[in-house]
This record gives sequence, structure tokens and C-alpha cells, in this order.
Amino acid sequence: MPLVRGAIYAVIGFVIGAGISLGITSITGEDSTEPLIVLGYVFAVIGWLMGVGMWRTWGRGWFGKPTENNPGGGWERYIRFNTDHKVIGIQYVVIFVVVFLLAGLLAMLIRVELADAGQNVMTSTNFNTTMSLHGIMMIAVAVAIMMGGFANYVLPLIIGAEDVAFPRVNALSFWVVPPVVVLLLLSPLFGGFDTGWTAYPPLATQTPIGGLLFELAFLTFGISSILGGLNFIATIITQRAPGMTWGRLPIFAWAVLAASVISLTATQWVAYGMLMIIFERIFNMVFFSPPGGNALLYEHVFWFYSHPAVYIMILPAFGAELEIISHFARKPLFAYRWVVRAFGLIVFLSFLVWAHHLFTSGMGDELHGPFMVLTELISIPTGIVFLSALGTLWRSKIRLKVPLLFAVGVVFNFTIGGLTGIFLADVATDIALQDTYFVVAHFHYTIMGGEIFGAFAAGYYWFPKITGRMYNETLGRIHFALMFIFFNITFLAMFIPGTVGMNRRIAEYPPEFEFMNLVTTIASIGLGLAFVPWVYNMLNSWIRGPKAPDNPWDAKTLEWQTSSPPPLENFEEMPTVTGDAYGYGDESVVHSVFGRRKGSAHPPVPAEGD
Amino acid sequence: MTAGAIWVLLTIIAELSFTSLNIFGDAASEQGEFIDDAFVLLMLLAIPILTFVITMIGYVFFKFRAKGDELEDSAPTRTHTKWVGFWLIWTTVLCLVVIVHPGYTGLLEIRQTSAEEPDLTVNVTGRRWQWMYEYEGRGVQLLMKDDTLVLPNHSLIRFNITAEDQDVIHSFWIPAFRMKIDAVPGLTTYMDVNTTEIGHFNDDVNFRVQCAELCGKDHSLMFTRVEVVEPAEFEQWITNR
Repeated sequence: MPLVRGAIYAVIGFVIGAGISLGITSITGEDSTEPLIVLGYVFAVIGWLMGVGMWRTWGRGWFGKPTENNPGGGWERYIRFNTDHKVIGIQYVVIFVVVFLLAGLLAMLIRVELADAGQNVMTSTNFNTTMSLHGIMMIAVAVAIMMGGFANYVLPLIIGAEDVAFPRVNALSFWVVPPVVVLLLLSPLFGGFDTGWTAYPPLATQTPIGGLLFELAFLTFGISSILGGLNFIATIITQRAPGMTWGRLPIFAWAVLAASVISLTATQWVAYGMLMIIFERIFNMVFFSPPGGNALLYEHVFWFYSHPAVYIMILPAFGAELEIISHFARKPLFAYRWVVRAFGLIVFLSFLVWAHHLFTSGMGDELHGPFMVLTELISIPTGIVFLSALGTLWRSKIRLKVPLLFAVGVVFNFTIGGLTGIFLADVATDIALQDTYFVVAHFHYTIMGGEIFGAFAAGYYWFPKITGRMYNETLGRIHFALMFIFFNITFLAMFIPGTVGMNRRIAEYPPEFEFMNLVTTIASIGLGLAFVPWVYNMLNSWIRGPKAPDNPWDAKTLEWQTSSPPPLENFEEMPTVTGDAYGYGDESVVHSVFGRRKGSAHPPVPAEGD
Repeated sequence: MTAGAIWVLLTIIAELSFTSLNIFGDAASEQGEFIDDAFVLLMLLAIPILTFVITMIGYVFFKFRAKGDELEDSAPTRTHTKWVGFWLIWTTVLCLVVIVHPGYTGLLEIRQTSAEEPDLTVNVTGRRWQWMYEYEGRGVQLLMKDDTLVLPNHSLIRFNITAEDQDVIHSFWIPAFRMKIDAVPGLTTYMDVNTTEIGHFNDDVNFRVQCAELCGKDHSLMFTRVEVVEPAEFEQWITNR
């Protein structure tokens, strides 16, 4: 059992690391608890990775010994180190669906506490830990569900590759995730942390051990994200099928490429930030905590990642949304080339807007103007995505299936999310709205209403491909209706207390804001219940749903031109791409032809038609 | 045409219902009045965009649904240069308008250190979980959590804000003035406010100093009551302290 072996090796690793740390601190005479945890954890992760199969699949090769390539078949593939991108994609989706449901339960707890003004079910310390855990767990879901989950499964298929460029790195990027989840779930038992997911020092350096566990988790998760981004970039550049020119690349692949650039380059900053906080804690170094340190420095480092990070979340969702709209509207994706340009511009601008989170931080006033301008400029490329979505739907022949409903849900929700973003990019209104419930409502509209709706669109769309079975359409529609309605009531109602003076991250608030909070709480319970038909539908359909055909949607992209689910290495015969993927209503455009044998020389690549 | 008419109608209804609502009470400072006006302006600009998207979604679902099991494809329109150009132009123009006003006009209004001497300077220190105040040159300090921060009306008040050295980041926010700025250990920030309305916490809960940056256990309860009184009454109060 690789999981059991991994756990045992992790314990052994922890004992070794903790022992080394104890040895050192007994000489230096410093406080031993936190260094012991950090070093023990580092060794535990190494032990865990080796135990779950990295040693057999990869590590032995470092010493010139033969490695085993993906031993074990059947369901056991999913609980060991496996390099098949389809296995890894499912591993990511399953673990993050579990995290999503747990963090959703935490949200329910928060809403119960906020149903009225006073203290109900939690002490304020417990409230802070609950709120912080909800935040970081949902951030992890948002970063990983599209990129780690659906992009991992679909990207190699959609570009006609046998796997990603670095399959073992891909498996590594998944297997550091379980330690992240374990640390986060353990943190409430060690005093929790009351910093929110933003972890601003000096507060973050003063939390109980639970805070240290959170910081280690965030750092580890960053490593996973960096490796994932690196892998997708290399995959898209080197593994495309013959004929898959840049002008024919499906929009989902473009979106993953754009998000990967951010994932690779920006994530390192938050990893540094966490590392520096950990060093402040265990080595008494001074970076952020006065005297000597600069608290604002952390806010810059943190948001230099965490603003671009929202595009790691939303870009793949935009990609899936546009992909689905084109295939279900039976119409070529409108203004495809402009969307690609828009994605590029969004990536570029995403690195230049971080300080709009700092308008009230006390940073120099001369920075307000430039960051306001750059932030508001992002509305122009984002507008192109809407143009493309609406332009594709116009005069189309819409097949109103669940994936399309969710994709159009993204268009609606993100309109509200995007428009309310302008209020937060404008310095004047931001000074009033910063740190209020307006902000909370805004980012739930963009991330949940945008990305998570997009992830559900992707989930329903690719469900037949991934599982080989069809989901139940009626249950899917019920799920969409409930989720859409209750999501909108919950978060529309949340804008109001924010606008009239209720700040965020508080367990108790003035009774004047009680009514709107009660509305939000009641609606949020409906939102929570909306996931019941979904969970039932997914589980039931996966086990005993009707067998899915290879191409139930009659879509042209490559992942639908192989069996459901695809075989190991994805295609029986390898595809050659001869046209773009959106040639609906145009007989002259053929996306792909099959017949090339695996490993055979590439046939002549037809010239790009458009 | 139909879609256009629906859009115009929806927009008019939405704009009228928004302007007829007074969602927030009156701001009690010049800066706050500017911010409220900016908020309303941005809403008025945002509403037509939202109604456009709603109209489009509703219309295409109604008009362009595949009927029954019809499996035909649509006509293969790939792009439309004029529409793309039109779209780029209107989004860019709107973006530039918003950058100028309320963007840059707001910067001048809100965060401009005015040349004029403030009528009153209050030095503010945050620590977990209370605020402390010193009326500069007036010999008055408020050190208790239950004290009320009394301020004169029709005055330019400058707050110099910091947090204690071994403490954490807080944020000094007075919702009635719509203004906030962080209180950072090791750094002094400022906030200028021109008061315009009298008011008291007991009548309007927005007359309070609320910590707006998460600072640990009692963050929710880190607030001070605020009272804005006429200048004469304020002088009276200072003398009595």
C-alpha cells in the first residue's frame, strides 16, 4: 500500500528532521519547538514522496538502478505516484473537490455566526481560524481545480500529445498537495491562526503553531503550482501534434499557457514571503516586523503574487467557458485572435497592478495614480472575452445543455464581478470600500461566480470523457438553477452591508447590519444545499451512468476524437491537425485527421489555412 | 432592434430605480461626499453594461436555441472587424473617462496634503485592541476604550496615525467620513478630513472609528465612538477635559 508506506516514511522523516533540529538547538540554546517542526516537516515530505512511489518510479534512477514505470493498474493507480496525466488530473480533481466541500462547510459555519450581530456559535478566535481556513482552502481549490485538475487531464489531449513534457515532475507536483491538506487540517488543533489567508506580519509572526503550519502549507502549495506551470509551458511549446500551429491552438490551451506563465513566475514571490516569515519565526531574522523590518514590504511581496494569482484562477475558466460556448453554440469562436491577444495583455498587466490592494496601506501617495490607471486598463482585454462569448452566441444554434448553462453563468456573474472591480480600482471609492464586505462580495463574484462556475462547466463538459459515462441532465439542471439563484442572492445581498459601513473579517458587528446579513445567511444555506444534487449526480453517474460515446457533444477538438476514457498515451492512432478547432458550419475546415502511427515520422504539415 | 429596445428599457428602469434609492446615509465629510458621488457615477456607468449583458443572454437564449433535435451548425461567422473595433473603442473610451473622473480628480480631492494648516491635529495610536488619541497642542488625551472621540464640525482635521512598535497592523476607518488608512507599526500615516455634518455614534453607527485590518482576537470590537459637534461646543469640551 503506497499510501501507508508514504505515511510511515513521513513519520520516520519527521523523527530524523526533528532529531537533527533538536541536536542543533540544544547546542545554540534557542527555543526548539518551531525549528523542530519545520525541519521535521521538510524530511517528512521527502519521506512521504519516496514512500508513495517516487522512489520506485524515479528515485532509483538517480543511482543507476532500474525504475518501475507506473506499476499497478485499476483503481490503485490513483493512490500511488503515477505519471499518467489523466490519473494525475483525476487525483487533483478528487482531492480538491473534497477540500472544496470542507471549506464550504466552514463557510456555512461563518454564515451561521454572522446571522446576527452578537456572538453565536464561536469565540472570536475560533471565528478567525474558521474564516482564515475557509480562505486559504478555497484559494488552493481555485488555483488547482482548473490548472491541476482539468488542464492536467485535458491539455495533452486537446493538443494531441501522449502526455505532458515532464510526467514525473507532474506527479511530483500532485503528491506535495496531500501534505498541504494535512497541515491545514491539523492547524486548528495547534491553536489555529487568526491572520486570514493574507497572513500580514507582524501578526503572522506571532500566531500559535497553527500559523506556522499554515505558512508551511502555503509554501509547499507554491512549489506544486510552480512545477505545474513549468510543465504546461513546456508541454504546449514542445508536445503539440503536427499541424497544431499557434493559430489553430484551442482557446483552452491558450488560456492554460497564459495562466502557466503567471503560475511559474509569480508564485515564487509568495513562496519567498512565506519563507521569510518562517525565517523570522525560527531564526529571529527581521524582514517585516518593526523595529528593523518593514511591514509594507510584505504586502508588496504578497500581492505581487496574489493579484496575478487571480488570473491563474480565472484564465483557464475563461478558456473553458469560450471553448464550451463555441461547441454548444455550433459556431466558430468569435474574434479568436483577439481573445488570444487579450489573454496576453491580461498576463502582462496582471504583474503591474498589485498595489491596488495597498491604496489604504500607507504606501506613498504617488503610487496611487499609476496603479489605478494600470488596474483600470485590464477592463479592456477582459471586455474582449465578453465580446467573444456574446459574439459567438449571437445568431448561433444553441444546444442548451448543462455545460453551456454554467458557461453562460460565468458571463453573467463575471460581469458583476468585473464591474464592481472598477469601484475597487478607483482610489476614491476604494478608500471607502477597502476591507469591507463590498470586497468580499466582489471577489466571490469573480472567483466563485467566474472560476468555480467555469470549473463546473468544465466538470460537466468533460465528465463523459473522464469517466466514460454520462451524467444525469435533469439533476445537472437542478444543480445549476439552485446554485445560480442562491449564489446571486447570497453575494448581491453582501454588497449592501459593505457599502453602508460593515467591515470584513469580523465575528461581531453593529446590529444595524443584521437584516442583510440574515438574508445572506439564509441564501447561503440554499447555496450549500445546491451541491447535494451535484454530489449525488456525479457519484451515481460515475458508478452506474449510461456509457458515454466517444464524442457525445459532437465537438471537433482532439480530446473527443479518442475513446472515453482515453487509453494510456491517449490515442490509438496519432492525430495530425489540418485546420482550426472551430470550423462549425464550414465543411472546408477539418480540424484533424488520424492514421499516423505512434512514433512514426511526422507527415508533411499542411500549410496553415487562415 | 428588439434586443436594443429591451436593453434601453431595462437600462432606464435600472437607472431610475438606483437613483431613487438613497443607499447610504449622508457622508459627514467633503471627502466622503466626493466618494459617494463617485460611487453613484460608477454605478450609473456600470448599469448599462450589466443590462446589456443580461439582455444579450436572455435574447440569444430565447431567439437562437436549437429547436428539438435539430443538429445543424450555425453560419460560420468568425469575426466582424467593425464590431471588434467598435467594442475596443467604447471600452477604451469609458476606461479613460473613469481614469480621469472620478480617478485623477479623486486623487486630488482625497489624498492631497493641503497647503492650509489643519484646524485640529489628532495623533492616533493603535494597539490590540483599542485606539488612543492625542489632541495635538490642546493637552487632551483619550486613552480609554470607552472614550468618545469628539471632533469639531466645519473643520479640517488631520489624523497622524501609527501603531505601537511591538504591535500589528490596524486600519483607522471612520465610515461616516468614508475614509481609512492603515496604522502600521514603525510608520506614521496621515488622513485629512473636512467635516461637514454633526452626528453621534448613538444616532448613526457610522460615526465610529473601526479597525478595518484584521488584527487578531478582538478585531471586531476594536472601535471608538465618534461625535462631531459645532466648533464652539468642541472648544467647551476641550476646556472641560
